[in-house]
Amino acid sequence: MTNAPASCSEMLEFRAVDTHYGDLHVLKAVDYRIEAGEIVCLLGGNASGKSTTMKAIMGVVRPTRGDILFEGKSLLGVSSAERVRRGIAPVLEARRLFPRMTVYENLEMGAYTRPRGPDFDADLERVFALFPRVKERLTQLAGTLSGGEQQMVAIGRALMARPRLLCMDEPSMGLSPAYVEQVFDIIRTINRQGVTIFMVEQNANMALSIADRAYVLQTGQVVLSGPAAELRETELIRHAYLGELKVA
Amino acid sequence: MSDYEVLLQQVVNGLSLGAMYALLALGFTLVYGILELINFAHFNVFMVSSFVGMWALQLLGISGQERALTGFALVGVLGFAFIVTMLAAGILGVAIERISLRPLRGVRGTAAMITTIGVSYILFNVILLTVGAGSENYPNPLPARRWQWGEVTIDLKEVLIWAVALVLMIGLQLFVNRTRLGKAMRATAQDAEAARMMGVDVDRVIMTAFFLGSALAGAAALIFGLYYNYTSFIIGYTAGLRAFTAAVLGGIGSVPGAMVGGVVIGLIESVGGQLIAVRWTDVIIFSILVLVLVFVPTGLFGRATPTKS
Amino acid sequence: MAEPRAGMTSDTFTRLRRAAPLAWAAPALRSRALIAAAAVAALLFPIAIRNDADIDSLANALAFAALALGLNIVVGFAGLLDLGYAAFFAIGAYSYGILSSWQLQPDWSSFWEPFQWLGLVARNHTTAGDFVHFQVSFWLMLPLSAAITASFGILFGAPTLRLKGDYLAIVTLGFGEIVPIVVRNWPSLTNGAMGLNGVAAPQLFGFNFGIAATPYYYVAVALVALLILISVRLKDSRVGRAWMAIREDEIAAAAMGVDRVRFKLLAFAMGAAFAGMTGTLYIAKLQTATPDMFMFPVSVMILVMVVFGGIGSVWGVVVGALILQVLQSWVLEDLSGWLHVLGRFVGVDWLQRVELASSIELIFGLILVFMMLFRREGLIPATRRVPALSLTEQSAQVGRGGFDRLAGVGAGAERDGEKLLEIEDLTVRFGGLVALRSVSLSVPAHRIVAVIGPNGSGKSTLFNVMTGLVPADGGMVRFAGMEILRLPPHRILECGIARTFQNIRLFPNLSVLENVMIGMHARLRTGTVGAVLRLPVTRREEAEARERALEILAVFGNRLLPRLDHPTASLSYANRRRTEIARALASGPKLLLLDEPAAGMNPAETLELVDQIKSLARIGLSIVLIEHKLDVVADLADNVIVLDHGEKIAEGTTDAVRRDEEVIRAYLGRSAVYA
Repeated sequence: MTNAPASCSEMLEFRAVDTHYGDLHVLKAVDYRIEAGEIVCLLGGNASGKSTTMKAIMGVVRPTRGDILFEGKSLLGVSSAERVRRGIAPVLEARRLFPRMTVYENLEMGAYTRPRGPDFDADLERVFALFPRVKERLTQLAGTLSGGEQQMVAIGRALMARPRLLCMDEPSMGLSPAYVEQVFDIIRTINRQGVTIFMVEQNANMALSIADRAYVLQTGQVVLSGPAAELRETELIRHAYLGELKVA
Repeated sequence: MSDYEVLLQQVVNGLSLGAMYALLALGFTLVYGILELINFAHFNVFMVSSFVGMWALQLLGISGQERALTGFALVGVLGFAFIVTMLAAGILGVAIERISLRPLRGVRGTAAMITTIGVSYILFNVILLTVGAGSENYPNPLPARRWQWGEVTIDLKEVLIWAVALVLMIGLQLFVNRTRLGKAMRATAQDAEAARMMGVDVDRVIMTAFFLGSALAGAAALIFGLYYNYTSFIIGYTAGLRAFTAAVLGGIGSVPGAMVGGVVIGLIESVGGQLIAVRWTDVIIFSILVLVLVFVPTGLFGRATPTKS
Repeated sequence: MAEPRAGMTSDTFTRLRRAAPLAWAAPALRSRALIAAAAVAALLFPIAIRNDADIDSLANALAFAALALGLNIVVGFAGLLDLGYAAFFAIGAYSYGILSSWQLQPDWSSFWEPFQWLGLVARNHTTAGDFVHFQVSFWLMLPLSAAITASFGILFGAPTLRLKGDYLAIVTLGFGEIVPIVVRNWPSLTNGAMGLNGVAAPQLFGFNFGIAATPYYYVAVALVALLILISVRLKDSRVGRAWMAIREDEIAAAAMGVDRVRFKLLAFAMGAAFAGMTGTLYIAKLQTATPDMFMFPVSVMILVMVVFGGIGSVWGVVVGALILQVLQSWVLEDLSGWLHVLGRFVGVDWLQRVELASSIELIFGLILVFMMLFRREGLIPATRRVPALSLTEQSAQVGRGGFDRLAGVGAGAERDGEKLLEIEDLTVRFGGLVALRSVSLSVPAHRIVAVIGPNGSGKSTLFNVMTGLVPADGGMVRFAGMEILRLPPHRILECGIARTFQNIRLFPNLSVLENVMIGMHARLRTGTVGAVLRLPVTRREEAEARERALEILAVFGNRLLPRLDHPTASLSYANRRRTEIARALASGPKLLLLDEPAAGMNPAETLELVDQIKSLARIGLSIVLIEHKLDVVADLADNVIVLDHGEKIAEGTTDAVRRDEEVIRAYLGRSAVYA
C-alpha cells in the first residue's frame, strides 16, 4: 500500500531559517529542500542544531526568522496537532513511547488525529507487516520493551498517522548493531512504500548508505550538502565532524 | 456486643469512609498526575460542592430527615442531586484552572501551589461569610434501612456509598482506558511533549482532568452530607487532610494508589478512633503523612519522586 | 594591589576601586533618611496617640512584622516553603508561658535549690506541701526561647532536606498542625484548650509591665529593629549568599562549596528563633496562650505578609506585615462603619450588617492569588533595578594574549607534570544503562586535558562523578593523593576541584558579583555571628573577597565588570558562560573542569577564550575540558581522551586522535553492510 505523493514535488523546505534559544543563535540562515519520495539525512556533530531542526519541523521550536514550508504551505503558526494532520509524523529522539501504555495504545496514540475506521485497521496491518515483533507484544507495556523493540514501536506509532513525511530523530541511538541494521532496512522499505523520510543521524556511515541526499550541519550552519553517494566517497564528512573543515 | 464485633463494626464504617476518601483522593491525584501540582483548592471545591448538593436536594423539597423516599423517586432524587453536584464541582474546578492556574503553567517553583492555597482560602471564606460558621443539617431522602450481620449493622447509606463509589471508580477506569480523551490524559501524564507531538491538545486534557477530578470531589461531597447528615464550612479541611494523606500514602499520581490509600485511611480513622481516643486521630493522620513523605516518598504504588534529582 | 587589566577603561577601574560595599551613595542616603524618619515615628507613636487599644494594635502589628522577618529567612532567603511556621511561634510562646506561670507545679525537692538561688524558681509554701513555682525572667527567656525554638527548627527541618519544594511544604504543614494539636491534648503541660493563664508580665528594674500596652510596644519596636538588623546583615554576607545560592540552584550551590545540609538547617533554626522570641513577647503581652492562636491560618497569614511585601526583601516583608495588620485592625473596621452608614442611607440591609474585619481571610486569599498572578516579586522587590549601561560599557573591550597573574588561583604545591588527578576503573550505572565503563585517565599538574566523544559517550557523567553529583559503582578517583569518590560535592570543591556546567547553572536572580562571591564560599570563614556583628575581621574578609572577585572578573575585560550588579538571568549567553568560569575560578581551585566553555561563542569570542584558558594553565591551574569544537581542542589540549558509549577508546594528541580508526568510527558510525 503506498501513500499518494504530493502534487508539488517539494515536500519540505526551510528558507533562511534562524532559531534562537534565549539569545543563543542556534540555527543560522539554514536552507533545506526535501523532495517527495526521497530519503534525506541531516548529519553533524554534537550541538550542531540537528535536534533543533526536528523540533522546528514539529512545531516545538519557532523560527525567529525565515519560513518552513510543507507541500508549499507555510508552517508558521501552525500547531503540532495540525502538522500531524497535514501529513508530518515524528519518530522522537530516544523513542519516547508512553511507558505505562501498552504497545497497542501507543500505536493508537499515533493515529490520534485521525478518525477511527477501516483506514485505521489497514494501517495497523501495515505496521504489523513491517514489524512482526510488534504484533507479538501488543499487550505489553511499552516501557518494558528493549531499546530496539521500542524503536520499532516508535516508527510504527508514527506510521499510524499515515504521514507523507516521516521525521526521524536519531533512530540508531542506543541500539545494538543488529537492531540498527534492521531499523535502517525498515526505513528503506517504508520509503519504497512512498513515505518521504527526513532523518537526523549521528551515525553518518549508516545514514549515507540508505540516503539519497544529505546535509551536514556544524554549529547551526549547513557546511556541506549533496548526493549521499558523493559524500560517502569524500573525506569532507570526516573533516566536518572532526573539526578540520573551515566554513567558507 | 463483643470487642471483636465492635471492631468489625468499625471496619464496616471505615470501609464506607474509605470509599468517600478514595473518591476525594482520586480527584486530587488525577490533577497531580498530569501537572505535578498539589492543588489545595481541591478540598474546598469539595466543601463548596457539599453545599451545592444540599441546595439541590432542598430544591426538590427535601429537607431534614422527614421525607424518606423509596424506589424510583429515591433513585431520581439521588440521581438529580449527584448530577447537579458533580457538574457544579466540575465547572468550578475548570474555572479555577483557567483563571488562576493556566497563566502560571510555565513558572517553576511553588508559585502555582501558593496560588491554590489562595484560591482555597477564597472558597473557604466565601462560604463562611455567606452561609456562616454553623453546621447545616443535611437533607436526607434515604429511608432508614439496615441489615444485620451478626451484631454488625450495615446501613442503607453505606450500601449507597459503596455503590456510587464503585460506579464512579469503574467509570473513571473505563474512561481513562477506553476513550480517546482518557488515553490522551494518560499519555499527557507520562510525556506531555510527546503527546503534543502526537496531536494531543494538552490544554483540553488538563481542563478535562480538572473537570473530572472536581466532579469526583463533588460526588464525595454529596456522600459526605448523606452519610454524616451535616455539612459545614470546615469539612474541606478535615476530610481534605485525610484524603490528601490517602493520596500520598497510595502514591501521589497513582489512580489505584488513591483508591487503596483512601480505604486504608478510612479504616485507620474508624478503627483508630475506637482503639485510641478520637482526639488523636488528626495527629495520627498527620504523622502518617509526614512519615510517608520522609521515608517512603513514592507511597505504595507511586512513581512520582518527591526528592530532588 | 590590583592593577587595571588590558582593555578595561581606567574610568571603570577607578570607579570600581573606590567602590566600597556602600558604593551607591545617593540612594543610600535617601533610604537612610527614610529609615531614620520611620524610627522617629515609631518611637514617638505612643506619645502622640494616647489610645491604649491603638498602641496595642500597633504592637501586635510589629509582632507580626517580626514573624514575617523570620519566615522571610526560610522562604525568602533560603527558598524553603514553610507552611507550618506558626508552630515555632507557638513553641516560643508556650516556652515562656510554662516557665513563668502557675501551670507547672512539681513538688519541691533539693534538686530545685540551685535554680532558686539563680532566681529562676520560687518555693511555694502551701498547706498541701511545698511546690516549685517557675518564674523565669522574660528577659532571660527571650534568648532561651530562641534557643529552644531553634532546636525545634532543626528537628522539623531535618526530615525535609531531600524533598522537593512542594513536598517540603507539605511536611512543614504537617508539623505545623501537629504542634497545636499536641498542645491542645496535653493539658498537664499546657492547660489544653482552655489556655495558659497567669503568665507573668515582664519586669524591668522593679517596674512591672502590667497590662498597659506601651512598654510592650517599645519592646516590640526594639525586637523588630534587632531582627531587621540581623536580616540585613545576614543577607549581605557569606551566610545570606549561601542561602540564596541554595534557593536559586541547589546543585550549583553544592558544586560551589555550600554545605546544603548545614545551611538549610541554619535557615530553619534562624527563622524559628525569630518566631520563638516573638512568641515570648506576644504571650507576655497577652498574659495568656491558647492553641487556637497558632493554627494553620496564622501560618498562612504570615506567608501572605511575606508574599505581599516581597519575598526575600527585608523591608518589604516588614511593610507588608504592617500594612496587612493595620488593614485588619483599623481600615476594615472604619470601612465597615462607612458601609453601615451607606446601607442605612440606601436601605440595603446586608450593607448595614457587613463586618469587613471578619473577611480579612478572604482578602488574604485574594492577595495571594493576585500577587502570584500579577506581581510575584511583591510590593518592594528584593532585587534592585540596575542603571542602564553607557555606550563604552556596552562595547566589549578585551585584549588578546590573556594575563599573567590572578589572585588566589593556581600555583600550588604540585610539581609541574606530576599526577594531580588519577581515575582508575571508574564505572557508573544508571539503572540498567552503563554510562561509564572502567574508565581510567590521569591529569598531570599544570596541563590541559580534553575529553571528547560523540553524544551520550559519558563525558558529562564523568564530570558529575568527579564532583560528587552522581554516585559511582566502582573504581577510584584520587586527587592530590586523596581519595575523593565518596565525598559530597561541597567537600570536593574544598579540596580544590571547581567546575562549570554544560547547561550553565548560574544563580539567575543574583548579580554577577554575588555569583562570583558565592564561588568563594569555601575560602571565606565568616559565620552567622561574624556576619551579624560585622566585626572588623569580617569586614576585612568581605572587602578582600570583593577585591578578588573584581580581579577575576577583570580577566574578561569590560564584558562583565560594568554588569556587576546585573542579575545573571539578564546577561547574554556568552557572558553567562564567562560568569560561570569566573565563579569557578573564585574558589581558588587547583583543577578546573570546563564543560563546553566555548559553546555558543562566535569565532572571535572563541579565540579570546582560548587565550584566557591558556593563561590559566600558565599561572598554574590544571584543566580538564569537554569540548566539541575540535579546533579549540587542538589549540589547547596537551592530551586528548576520547570516550564512546562510556568507554575510553583512544588517547593522545589531537592529531593522533583525529586519525584514529576507532575514533572516526565512533563519530561517523559503523559502516553499513551494504555500501
